[in-house]
Amino acid sequence: MTTLQVSMPVRALVRKELREYRRHRMIMLTAVILPIAFLVLPIVNLVLFNAETSLGGVDLAVGQAMFCFFLTPVIIPATMAAFSVIGERDQGTLEPLLTLPLSDREFLAGKVFAIVAPAVLVSFGIYLVYTGIAFVGTEGEIRAATLDWTWPFGFFLLTPLLAGFSTLAGMAFSVRARDIRVAEHLSGLVLLPSMLPLMLVVTQAIPARPVTWLALAAALVLIDATLWRLALRAFDRERAISAS
Amino acid sequence: MNRAVPVIELHGVSRSYGTHLALQPLDLAIEPGEVFGLLGPNGSGKTTTLRVLATLIRPTAGAAVVHGHDVVTAATEVRRLIGVMPEKPSLYERLSIRDNLLFWADAHGVPEPGTAIAAALEFVGLGGRERERVGELSKGWRQRVALARAIVHRPPVLLLDEPSSGLDPSAAVAMEAMVLELTAGGTTVLMNTHRLAEAARLCHRVAILRQGQLVGLGTPGEIQSRLLGHRLGVRLGEPADAALRAAIEGAPGVTGIRWEGSGFRCQLEDAGRDTPQLVGRLVGAGARVLAVVPEGDLEAAYLELMGAPVARLDAAA
Repeated sequence: MTTLQVSMPVRALVRKELREYRRHRMIMLTAVILPIAFLVLPIVNLVLFNAETSLGGVDLAVGQAMFCFFLTPVIIPATMAAFSVIGERDQGTLEPLLTLPLSDREFLAGKVFAIVAPAVLVSFGIYLVYTGIAFVGTEGEIRAATLDWTWPFGFFLLTPLLAGFSTLAGMAFSVRARDIRVAEHLSGLVLLPSMLPLMLVVTQAIPARPVTWLALAAALVLIDATLWRLALRAFDRERAISAS
Repeated sequence: MNRAVPVIELHGVSRSYGTHLALQPLDLAIEPGEVFGLLGPNGSGKTTTLRVLATLIRPTAGAAVVHGHDVVTAATEVRRLIGVMPEKPSLYERLSIRDNLLFWADAHGVPEPGTAIAAALEFVGLGGRERERVGELSKGWRQRVALARAIVHRPPVLLLDEPSSGLDPSAAVAMEAMVLELTAGGTTVLMNTHRLAEAARLCHRVAILRQGQLVGLGTPGEIQSRLLGHRLGVRLGEPADAALRAAIEGAPGVTGIRWEGSGFRCQLEDAGRDTPQLVGRLVGAGARVLAVVPEGDLEAAYLELMGAPVARLDAAA
């Protein structure tokens, strides 16, 4: 993607996608309700934490909260990515769209960026609200664990990569599948097991150290690059319009 | 029309889907400012041809060129030069008219998109309605928006797939007028249509396809003449007497005649050459000539090419 210039058609496509998402009820529900839920649950977790009754201790409690935040950039893009190509085809707009002066790479890049950018912003937003509440409303051991710098380090490092991962996995299926639900289910099958390493970190089975986050980030960069190539290879204009 | 460098060229373009040959090798050259019609039944290869030129599908063999750019090797360049209006309006129904057009204008790098959008909407009769949501428009208005979208970047080539499909007669006439106005400004138009009368009125030339094969090419008039001969219907003020009949039946160029009440239908060797002589002979013989009407139209010629007997059409009429 380094050779990709953010050309006028790509910018136009991104703006169009964002306008359309804002008016798409299902996508808005996913992009609004899920983050709210993923913000409320950790806050409740914080407020109700009791060191004496908690089974896993403070680290597990904070880890569980963080899992919600790591899930956000994975869940939000899933529906949007599945919709991105099949949705265009189902509403009959894919054919004229493909007559715009966009190469395959530009077309997919525009679609990916329009999904990743809002997913990352929303994820960062709810995490900042969470840390703000933790900063103001908690104290002692739970406050220290919540505001431990290794969590935001890992979160801000991995969130764009996780959003890219989810988007590209959904896109790879969207360019080939003939039905939005099939694309959603297939990308879900890929996404959920791949959260296992993160699950091990947030449950403290693997320590949440900077080196851990860096290793996960490196793995995600490789996976994202592979998925980008797969999506690009899977995208076939004739095939994409043939089911319309 | 003066011969000029073709804007659209197809050199032996064919297209297969698996073992099915949807388009047999096709050669066409379409000149600047020309309205060219592709006619044929469903499955004849019209949409395949249009899709090849729109860079949506690749030809199996041959080459298609738009303004000197090959549709396969220079697809992005071709896309900059074309405006496409699919059979269905294919608009973003959740977005406003303006947002639909703004996307297209921005994607084509139109320098002043607001002005271009206003001009395009004014052209299609939708001036001042840019804030309306596309999903709330009728089919006819959506077709207009689709045309506005196709021309918002002022492409030199327009590809129209059934532009008046599903429109009521007055909306279809309005669409025809818009296409004619565009070509008057120098735009080259390639259109698919099932409406033969529309093609006869709009198109400088037409190609008739059947089962992926070109079976007719020329101006609507040429195709009619070639297939139906030179037929003339003549209405007189009173029934012809024997002397008049004899004079007309022996007139030069008249190869067949059928008398019907106070008039006749005849077949001429060359309508352009023989009609004035025939009328002169009628007037010279003292007949009152009320009307002289060339017979047969593009529809009759089309049906002839499709294998339907023209006589049946005449009888039905």
